[in-house]
Amino acid sequence: MQHHKAIEIKNLCYTYPDGTEALRNIDLSIENGESVAIIGPNGAGKSTLILHLNGLLRGKGEVRVFDLPINDENVREIRRRVGVVFQDPDDQLFSPTVFDDVAFGPLNMGLPRDEVERRVGKALEAVGMVGFEKRAAFHLSFGQKKRVAIATVLSMEPDVLVLDEPWGNLDPRGRRGLLNVLHSLPVTRLIVTHDLFYTMELCDRVVIMDEGRIVASGPLGQILADEGILEEHGLELPQTEPRALPTADRKVWGNLRSLKKS
Amino acid sequence: MRHSYLDRYSNLDSPVHRLDARAKIVLFFTLTVVCVTTPATAYYAFGGYLLVLLVLLLASRLPLKHVFGRSLIVVPFVLMVAAFIPFLKTDVIGGGYNLGGITVSRSGLLVLWNVVVKSSVGVLSTILLSSTTPFGRLLKGFERLKAPHIFTTIAAFMYRYSFVLVDEAMRMKQARDSRNFKGKWIWDARAIGHMIGNLFMRSYERGERVYLAMLARGYDGRARTLEGEKISAPDILFVIAVMTLVVLARVLGSRGMLL
Repeated sequence: MQHHKAIEIKNLCYTYPDGTEALRNIDLSIENGESVAIIGPNGAGKSTLILHLNGLLRGKGEVRVFDLPINDENVREIRRRVGVVFQDPDDQLFSPTVFDDVAFGPLNMGLPRDEVERRVGKALEAVGMVGFEKRAAFHLSFGQKKRVAIATVLSMEPDVLVLDEPWGNLDPRGRRGLLNVLHSLPVTRLIVTHDLFYTMELCDRVVIMDEGRIVASGPLGQILADEGILEEHGLELPQTEPRALPTADRKVWGNLRSLKKS
Repeated sequence: MRHSYLDRYSNLDSPVHRLDARAKIVLFFTLTVVCVTTPATAYYAFGGYLLVLLVLLLASRLPLKHVFGRSLIVVPFVLMVAAFIPFLKTDVIGGGYNLGGITVSRSGLLVLWNVVVKSSVGVLSTILLSSTTPFGRLLKGFERLKAPHIFTTIAAFMYRYSFVLVDEAMRMKQARDSRNFKGKWIWDARAIGHMIGNLFMRSYERGERVYLAMLARGYDGRARTLEGEKISAPDILFVIAVMTLVVLARVLGSRGMLL
C-alpha cells in the first residue's frame, strides 16, 4: 500500500444549492505519509473541500482515496481511512460521556467489545486524555475538547487525519499541546487553516486556496519565501516578536526566519 | 459558564448511588405506579411508601435541602387543586367542615390529600432517581431496559446540547446588554424576537454539523452501544425486597390493617 497515493483529486467542482461556486477545478494529490497544509482566507472553499474527502459532499470530478473511488459501496471504508476532525469540538462530541464519543466510530465499524475498549484506551492515550472516560464533554476545557475530538477519530485508526482549523480558539499552551499530539501520530496529515505559525512546524508542503481554486502548491520554504503570493491571497506570515513567545515556540520562529532566507 | 445540572449530586457515593441504573428505574417506577393506583383512603399505605422513600433518601446521603427544594415543584399543582376544593360539595351535608364562613367538603379535602400525597411520592421518586444516577448512566439504564432507541437518543442530544444552547443564549444576551439594551418597552420585543429566531437558526445549523460529524465516523442511522455489565444479584435482590415492601404496604394499607 505504501506506493499508493493517499488522496487523489482530479478536476473537482462543487456548487452549493444556492448557486455559490465553492470549488472550481481542484487538482490535488497527497502521498501516503505526507503532511500537507491547505491555507487560504475565509470563504476560500477549504472546509467544502474537506467534506469531499470522505464523501459527505460529492461534486463533479474525481476523488480517490487509496485508489478507491468514492461511491456508496466504498464510503464506509473511506470514512474509516480518512478521519475528519471538525472545527468546533462541540459538533463532534455529542455523547453523554467521553468514552461514548470515542467509542462511537469503532461501534459503527461493528467491532467487538474488547476491541472497542482497546481502541478507546489507545486513542485517549495518544491525545493525553486517559482518565477522562467517564467525564461529560461539556465539563471539559476547550483544549481538552479539541483533544478528545481528535481521539474520536483516532479510535477508528485512520490512515489520513484531516483537521479543519485545529488552532482556532486555542490558547498558546493548548496549541503547543495539540502540536505535540499531532507530531506524535504516525499518519498522513492534512491541515486546513489560515494560521501559518503552527502549521509551519507540522507540514512539509503548503497548498494555497482562494475563491474555490488552488492557486499555489509547493514545499513549505518555497511558499513562505514568496511574500507576494501570500499577500495577494490575504495571508501573512506571523509578525510576532520572538520574545513574546514561549520558549518552545521561539525555535519555530527561528526555523521560519532561516527558511525565508534560504 | 455555570450551569445548574439536572443530575446534580449524582456523582456522590452511597449505597443508593451504587445501585445499577436499571434497578433504580424499575424500583422508582413501580413505587410511583403502585402509589398512584392506591385508593386515597388507604392512609397507612401512603405512610408505608413515604417511609420507604425516607429510608432511601437517608441512605443516599443527598443534602435534604436540595431534595426538598426540588420537591417544591409540586406546589403549583397543589394550589390549583386547592382552589377548586370549595366547589366540590358532594357531601356537604354528611361531613363538611365549616371554617369561618368557608365550607370545605370532606371529599374536597380527600381530593387535595390525594393530589398532595401522590405527587409528593412521584416527585420524590424522580428526584431520588435523577440525583443518584448520572444522566448518561440513566440513559444507558433505559436502553438496557429496551426503551426505544429514538427516545434515549433524543434525550441524550437534548441533555448534551442544552448546555451549548444556554451558553449561546447567554453570550447573545451579554452582547445585547453591552449595547445598552433595556428591554422595557413593547418595541424592544422585536430584538428579543430576533434573538429567538437567531438561536433557532444556530441550533438548526449545529444539528446539521453534528450530523455530518456523525456520518464522518460511519454513522448509518443505527444506534450501536456496548453490551453493559450484567446487573448484579444483590441489586436484583434489593429491588425485589423493596418492591415487596411497597406492595405489602399497599395491600395491608388498603385493608386498613397496621403492620
